[in-house]
Amino acid sequence: MIDRIRRHWMLYVLIAPILAYFGAFLFYPMGQGIFLSFQKAGLLGPVGFVGWDNYAKVFATPMVWQAIWNTLIIAVGITLVGTLLPILPAIALLQITPDWLKRGLQTAIYTPYLLSWVIIVGVWLNTLSPVGLVNSVLLATGIIEQPISFFADPAWARPMVIGLTVWKDIGFHALIYLAALLSLSPDILEAASIDGANDFKKIRDIILPHLMPMIRVVFLLTLLGSLRTFDSAFLMLNGRTADQIRTLAIFTYERGILKFDLGVASAAGVVLLAVSLLISAVARVFIRNEDAEA
Amino acid sequence: MLQSRSARILSYLILLLLAAMMIIPLWTVVSTAFSSKFASLQPGIHLWPSPFSLEGFDTLFRRLDFVRPFANTLYVTVVGTTVHVILSALGGYVLIQKDLPGRSIIAGIILLTLTIPTQVILVPLFVVFKQFHLLNTLLSLIVSEMVSAFSILLMKTYFEQVPRSMIESARIDGAGHFKLLKDFYLPLALPGVLTVAAFQIVHKYNLFIEPLLFINDPQKVTLQIALQSVILGENSTSTNDFIAPNVTMAAILLALVPLLVFYPFMQKYLIRGLTVGGVKE
Repeated sequence: MIDRIRRHWMLYVLIAPILAYFGAFLFYPMGQGIFLSFQKAGLLGPVGFVGWDNYAKVFATPMVWQAIWNTLIIAVGITLVGTLLPILPAIALLQITPDWLKRGLQTAIYTPYLLSWVIIVGVWLNTLSPVGLVNSVLLATGIIEQPISFFADPAWARPMVIGLTVWKDIGFHALIYLAALLSLSPDILEAASIDGANDFKKIRDIILPHLMPMIRVVFLLTLLGSLRTFDSAFLMLNGRTADQIRTLAIFTYERGILKFDLGVASAAGVVLLAVSLLISAVARVFIRNEDAEA
Repeated sequence: MLQSRSARILSYLILLLLAAMMIIPLWTVVSTAFSSKFASLQPGIHLWPSPFSLEGFDTLFRRLDFVRPFANTLYVTVVGTTVHVILSALGGYVLIQKDLPGRSIIAGIILLTLTIPTQVILVPLFVVFKQFHLLNTLLSLIVSEMVSAFSILLMKTYFEQVPRSMIESARIDGAGHFKLLKDFYLPLALPGVLTVAAFQIVHKYNLFIEPLLFINDPQKVTLQIALQSVILGENSTSTNDFIAPNVTMAAILLALVPLLVFYPFMQKYLIRGLTVGGVKE
């Protein structure tokens, strides 16, 4: 054993900077966050241990409950729509025969995944502005009488965050599903047609069960990602929509960085971490049980 | 695969609709960017600039400093991606050494980092970067996500496919760790290296939370932050100073150019990477 460690000393030297990096810039900040959440914040830094005071303050703040609620609704919306909707284009892509067309469509629906949230919000601010393309079409066809202010109407705030997130990710998720579908042997589908199965039955009894493991993976990844929603909602946040889309992550930023209330902000950050770990643990157990039953 | 006519027609409809939802908004960016200020303010459906005008670009370059943010982002993207790829390769290389004592502990620590997302530790990250005197430096943007568990695991997956026999014979010939990495693993696992690089280029180019958090100095502002202030019109203090849509769309178009230039080269790796990454879980 000692001999093997000595023989491999160089490998430890190689991995050391990586572990040091994770230590200094992930685990240490995490620890700092927990430490600060029990400290009274002063102007120049923490000034003393205050026990659970910051947490009491966090839970006594109505804005926090609103932020938790916003986070959950947005996460549920993004996770459900963002997991299920991409199944459609994935199955559809299988049917497209000229290869260049298939690749072209694939590229087009994947592109938004590469765009930054600043660009996405900018692009849609233009397309969905009261004088923009969508409102002009809706007005011209008589579907609406007044232009909809998608980015300034509280009723549209959460659907916009959910919708644009789904728009950004749909190509990415569809291609994950498509990769899984390519491993499905065409013979099985052919045998099913010979047995007289129609398309609906093929999708329900062969394609969806085949996709199920991947749907679970995408579900978990989307759930974890959506619980941390920051950029999208932050960029769509304004005076009229703040109460609908201020997520817990945005609350910690506003409280900690803009108001410099480090104690309360750190406590809220710990709450966010606890909530997301709890929800992902529950989701994992739930999904594993389903696996066991299947 | 499906046989009925209606299934095929429906497939085309779904995909064309989705593709239109991607292409039309991006096309209106182009048509608005090349419109005059007056035309860009008119309500209606404008799928073609009328009249054609470079006013937006002119205003953008005259009124706002857009070159420096571009240079800053370029610097962070190039240096940051290079460091990220090197460190991830080292991590992947160490993780494939089956007889290394403590390998599972190292792998465990790396996996554990996946549970700590940036957005959850925004405030302590700010405090820690301040302690390390990294605030208001471009270095802070290179340091954040200098290496990641995702990239290390991706490299490991690709390195594992390099034939053992080839490595063994090279080792018998006296090749050390660096030679093995440089002459065997990196070239033979090139698709993996390019996948990590492609994802990191996109990530660094799009960086938003980190510069928002760490950078205050106008000289160090990055592209996305500059773009944000143009789009959300933070610079428009009076009606005289009003930034019209043609200026914002010109800014977005310029920010899209580098991505669109690289996209055809990177696309293969971005798509391959996501299928490997997707299976990983």
